[in-house]
Amino acid sequence: MNEMLTVKNLHKSFGAKHVLNDVSFTVQRGHIVALVGPNGAGKSTIMKLILGLIPSDGGELKVDGIDVSITSHQELAKVGALIEYPGIYPFLTGKQHLELFATGADKEKDIDKVVAALQMGSYINAKAKGYSLGMKQKLGIAQALLNNPELVILDEPMNGLDPQAVKGLRDVITNLAAQGTTFLISSHILSELEKLADDVLILNQGKIAEHKTMHDLTHSAVSVFVIHTDNDVEGQHVLAAAGLIAELDHGLRIQQNSENNLDDALRALIADDIHIRAVQQVDHDLESSFLDLINSEARGAKQDDNAN
Amino acid sequence: MITLIKQELYKLLHKNGTYIGLACIFCFQIALAILSKVYPGFMSADAAFGTGFAGSSIAVFVMIAATASIIAMEFQYGTVRQLLYRKYYRSQVFISKIIVVILHALVLYVLQFVMALLLKFALFPSIDLGASAGHGRTVLSALAISNVADFISLLLLLSVVLLLSTLFKSNAAAITSGYIGYFVMSMASSLLMLLISHWEWVKWNPFTMMLLGNQILNPTMSSVTHLSTPIMFWGSIAYTVVFSFLAYALFRKRSV
Repeated sequence: MNEMLTVKNLHKSFGAKHVLNDVSFTVQRGHIVALVGPNGAGKSTIMKLILGLIPSDGGELKVDGIDVSITSHQELAKVGALIEYPGIYPFLTGKQHLELFATGADKEKDIDKVVAALQMGSYINAKAKGYSLGMKQKLGIAQALLNNPELVILDEPMNGLDPQAVKGLRDVITNLAAQGTTFLISSHILSELEKLADDVLILNQGKIAEHKTMHDLTHSAVSVFVIHTDNDVEGQHVLAAAGLIAELDHGLRIQQNSENNLDDALRALIADDIHIRAVQQVDHDLESSFLDLINSEARGAKQDDNAN
Repeated sequence: MITLIKQELYKLLHKNGTYIGLACIFCFQIALAILSKVYPGFMSADAAFGTGFAGSSIAVFVMIAATASIIAMEFQYGTVRQLLYRKYYRSQVFISKIIVVILHALVLYVLQFVMALLLKFALFPSIDLGASAGHGRTVLSALAISNVADFISLLLLLSVVLLLSTLFKSNAAAITSGYIGYFVMSMASSLLMLLISHWEWVKWNPFTMMLLGNQILNPTMSSVTHLSTPIMFWGSIAYTVVFSFLAYALFRKRSV
């Protein structure tokens, strides 16, 4: 079976508030999946449901093909997780935290491997009450990666980590994924997720708004070009007179679509004797795709409200 | 389940409070033994030994703090999710904690009993352990029986403490509520004696069961509690189970 995680028609409400509404998606084994969405979209709720921490109001959850719920936890032996913030016993050292939860015959070896991978050796034997935010975060991630889990769920794992630690974590995750570990990661640091994830799930208002591969998401969007000229202000007037829309943003920024295209823009500028210095295609990254989607849904909702 | 119990014991054995609690019991016992030795008028050697040099009384305070924090600390430190998302169920996590509380209490009671004997041999060699202590018991068996009775009452008290502690998210609040609960129960059980004489059915309340230890030491108390000692024993066990179930129901409902 290639599906490590299956979520089907999942519903969850807290009182009168519908947090998740008919959410369905699958996560393939060995894939790194980014779960992104605005605050309150339901990301942590999905993760808690997968981990059997809270009851659902309907729907199916399967880990490696086996049902998981608040009353069915056996399959969670294959899962490691860090949800919201790391749980730390201040009276234990980092190493003791790992010893506490380590299982299996090769406990020591497994602990040493995780400590080395996350570069925690210099403080792993110190009491956790003296740890910085970043150290605690790494300890929480180390606990999630302990015991060679097949599925790792990380909620905002980059919180409190310095750039070097973020890079280190990225390497650890990609290495483990290459060995077959599956990751479901939520984060607001979209630039980092873009470097990591194979697939993207965009969650908005309790629904899956988009589920695509990272490649498709960042390449399916409209192309944006920036034209650098010797007189951008004049250039904008010229394009407007030709019926083309351009924004002044460190050059003339135009979106290529049915009304706007680069050919027409360049011809109009040259015809008006405006000198073209450079033309640059702007990459449509995860952040802009995410913002476009969220904003377009917000506009759609507003139009619906106005129509009503 | 064994893994969960091992994890709970690991945490307990790595907490300074566990050893501070034990040290408090020993220090209090030693202090009381020395006081009885130096000032026999303050408390006679027989009376002091009869209470195990107050070891079990101090153990009650230590166990209230330990029981109140065993669940509250998981919420305070944010570690409860780590406990619950693994392959174990909430019921297993809860039962493992109860088992560790019972083991902890058992160890403290045995250690304070041994310490009482050591102090007797060191400071009061004249006390005859085989002498009669009334009600057909020897001095030694009276102390042992008193400890067992105290232990049963302690379990009832700890089940109430556990129930209260599941309502709090911080150690300090849970421990304070445990101590307040203890004093309220102690006062209520004395007060209820008056009520039982007026309304027979009041004898079935859990506070009466808290007097099991007193009744075992002094069987004539049954005329006040209107309950036989075996009934009080089983009543204590029944209420301990009921309060533990209520504590579990609250723990199960708590959001994480």
